Amino acid sequence: MSNKDNAPPARRIFLSRVGGASGAALALPALFGGLAPAPAGAQGAAAGAVAPQPASYLSLGPQEAACVEALVDAMCPADALTPGGVDCGLHVFIDRQLAGAWGRGDRLYRQGPWQPGKPQHGYQSPLTPEDHFKAGIAALRRETQKRTGKPIEQLDAARIDTLLQEVAADQWDDPRFALGAWFNDAFYPLFVQACFADPMYGGNRDKVFWRSVGFPGLPALHARNVVEFRGRAFPGAASPQSIDDFS
Amino acid sequence: MIRKLPRRSVVFVGGGLTAALAARQMKNSGIDVLVLERGGDLAGSAAATLPNQRDELRWGVHNSLVQNWANETYTLRHAVGEHALPVRRMEAFLPGEGMGGAANHWNGQTWRWAEYDPALRTRLESRYGKAAIPRDMTVQDWGIGYAEMEPYHDLFERLFGIAGQAGNIGGQIVEGGNPFEAPRTRDFPQKPLEMLESGRIFQAAAQSLGYKPFPLPAANSPRAYTNPDGAKLAPCQYCGHCERFFCEANAKASPAVLLYPMLQKQRDFEIRLHSQVTGIDYDRHAKRVTGVRFIDLQTAQEWEQPADVVVLSGFTMTNTRLLLASGIGRPYDPKSGKGVVGKNFCYQVMSSVPVFFKDRWINPFMASGASQMVVDEFNGDNFDHAGLGFFGGGYIYSNVTNGRPINSRLLPAGTPRWGSAWKQANADWYPHAFNVAVHGSNYPHRENHLDLDPTYRDAYGMPLLRMTFNFRENDHRMSEYVTNKAAGIARAMGATTVGTPQPRRGDFDARLYQTTHTTGGTIMGAEPATSVVSPHLQHWDAQNLFVVGASVYTHNAGYNPTGPLAALALRLGDDLVRYARQPRML
Repeated sequence: MSNKDNAPPARRIFLSRVGGASGAALALPALFGGLAPAPAGAQGAAAGAVAPQPASYLSLGPQEAACVEALVDAMCPADALTPGGVDCGLHVFIDRQLAGAWGRGDRLYRQGPWQPGKPQHGYQSPLTPEDHFKAGIAALRRETQKRTGKPIEQLDAARIDTLLQEVAADQWDDPRFALGAWFNDAFYPLFVQACFADPMYGGNRDKVFWRSVGFPGLPALHARNVVEFRGRAFPGAASPQSIDDFS
Repeated sequence: MIRKLPRRSVVFVGGGLTAALAARQMKNSGIDVLVLERGGDLAGSAAATLPNQRDELRWGVHNSLVQNWANETYTLRHAVGEHALPVRRMEAFLPGEGMGGAANHWNGQTWRWAEYDPALRTRLESRYGKAAIPRDMTVQDWGIGYAEMEPYHDLFERLFGIAGQAGNIGGQIVEGGNPFEAPRTRDFPQKPLEMLESGRIFQAAAQSLGYKPFPLPAANSPRAYTNPDGAKLAPCQYCGHCERFFCEANAKASPAVLLYPMLQKQRDFEIRLHSQVTGIDYDRHAKRVTGVRFIDLQTAQEWEQPADVVVLSGFTMTNTRLLLASGIGRPYDPKSGKGVVGKNFCYQVMSSVPVFFKDRWINPFMASGASQMVVDEFNGDNFDHAGLGFFGGGYIYSNVTNGRPINSRLLPAGTPRWGSAWKQANADWYPHAFNVAVHGSNYPHRENHLDLDPTYRDAYGMPLLRMTFNFRENDHRMSEYVTNKAAGIARAMGATTVGTPQPRRGDFDARLYQTTHTTGGTIMGAEPATSVVSPHLQHWDAQNLFVVGASVYTHNAGYNPTGPLAALALRLGDDLVRYARQPRML
């Protein structure tokens, strides 16, 4: 993260960072074809070659994106198991969910009247999930600036990690916005989904999280495996396949 | 403006499991049957085909096969006197839509209830004395005995190819099966699914404690199967995409695979999709229903559908709401205890104990919806409750149905929720852990009930159904006790770590999934004063109206409800033929 000055995060407008192999040709998923996995991309020689990033955010504005990127990089640091959060595409997943049907309130009962409920009632805000998410990002950025004197995207990952633990423990709540509930019930589930959903949604790039835990993905035809590998390591877990591999 | 259709003989409201089973019995009787279903046909859809069937986010997290909450949800309050709010995104239970309904996206766990369950009040009173049953616990007998249901259980098992090991054939206890099961006339039509590693571990631990583990009866077909109607199931692929998912392999028994295609070939059968029923027309002086009203969702046209007979064959909530909204029967009032519609609303009380094995491969991603091992020693009234302070219980099982990575990763307590340590813990434990779980009963409480919400409406202008529901003292005590027994099994497994037992505590939480087993609201019984429908599921206040589904249960046992409601639906089909030939109170 080199942009430590006070310039607006113009570089965040484009999702330009690609982990691992660089400059890989844009490989659109084949829309037709048989069930065989798609051939590896032209630049795939490097281990863990990743699909290239789409070019733009669809929902997040530049400051929101800077915040989300900082959060996912802090919550998913680069290590032996996976690249950093941005390089895994976690920010793309989140942005696409916000811009898509879920973020806009699909399958959500949105008739009034509106009242705050008990926790057991679940989500009661009149805001769409997208707007509610952004309200939380704004509150988090405001509060971080107030408490640290810096924008959140200028803090280092260790500092962000510490403040998130405080946020998650409701220590940053105020009467106007419960940042703890927002982080735990809105941000954190999206983070987990970004890590473990099918890569076609933008996160879990190159199935890196599936590989890290040993989830084999598709085709999941285990009638023989359930006998042959009962109680044994399953070899297919080392090379997970996703929906794009079969499209 | 509403328009009127030609009269039909028997109209079913809801195109799920029960309508299909009842209609199957009416085949070849010459009786005209119309099923009205609000959803569509999922066959060949993205939900039903590879590769998109294997999409946890779409089907398992966003629940895209489940009732669209934007159109209709339920409001919730924990007690009378509280203000009910809509559960704007319901997670606790997952009603279905479309031809086949929730039985398209179930796990396939298929039980006969205990022999005493249909006469639970009689059983508890005779064993423990009348005074032992708390006044708040409104358990009731069904007015029908297991013996009358047995042939229909047998038929359903054969229609759906249920795989299992019998434990009691004609009174003879059979090794390897459930020694507590109600006596059956013959074995299951299929031998059990493959035992998973988790099942092996569970079986050994349970046996070491003197319990009798057995395979959970499964509607996931272990092999190619042809049912008595010639409908076929393919072998289960243990793909781990069962509950919440449509089976792409045609291996999970469901109405969409086994019943509706067969029915649609019959001359006297019609299912009309995209038809949202909004009310039942009731002549209260004649004590008869005259038909139903529905909206064709494709054209927005509202229709009046006259009918000789109406059958409510929807989900528990739907059946109850339609009766209330149509003004049929006396709504239940918890303050006075009078009335019946909405009474005895029950759910399920689940709990679990996580276990972690450094050196054993659980491979949760290779599983079927019903490939668990079970013990029944602590279910229902299978054990002596004298002095325990509660009634009911649950089955205890090795709960591995999937390893879908967004939601099915067990981690030891204290694991950070993000960061490198979180990632490492996931890598360390994902293929090496599972839950020992309890599927516990929920007995009725005089305050737990359903009625119409005074404030909120659905997309079609109908009032939402309001749940006044909470877990009560009986549920918490039962859960503590049986979860403790589950923990005992967990501790006998030789696990690296046994996690902290998680009995059901606190208030009912609509954010937490705990099975789709809501029951009650239109209870059956021998006495009109205390039931909505007769033991033949015939409405006491409208002779030509029948109600079928778990909405007729007076309590929810510690078993999945699908088996008995399927048996009752088959029996209802036979009763409808009798009724059509000679209309009367059966």
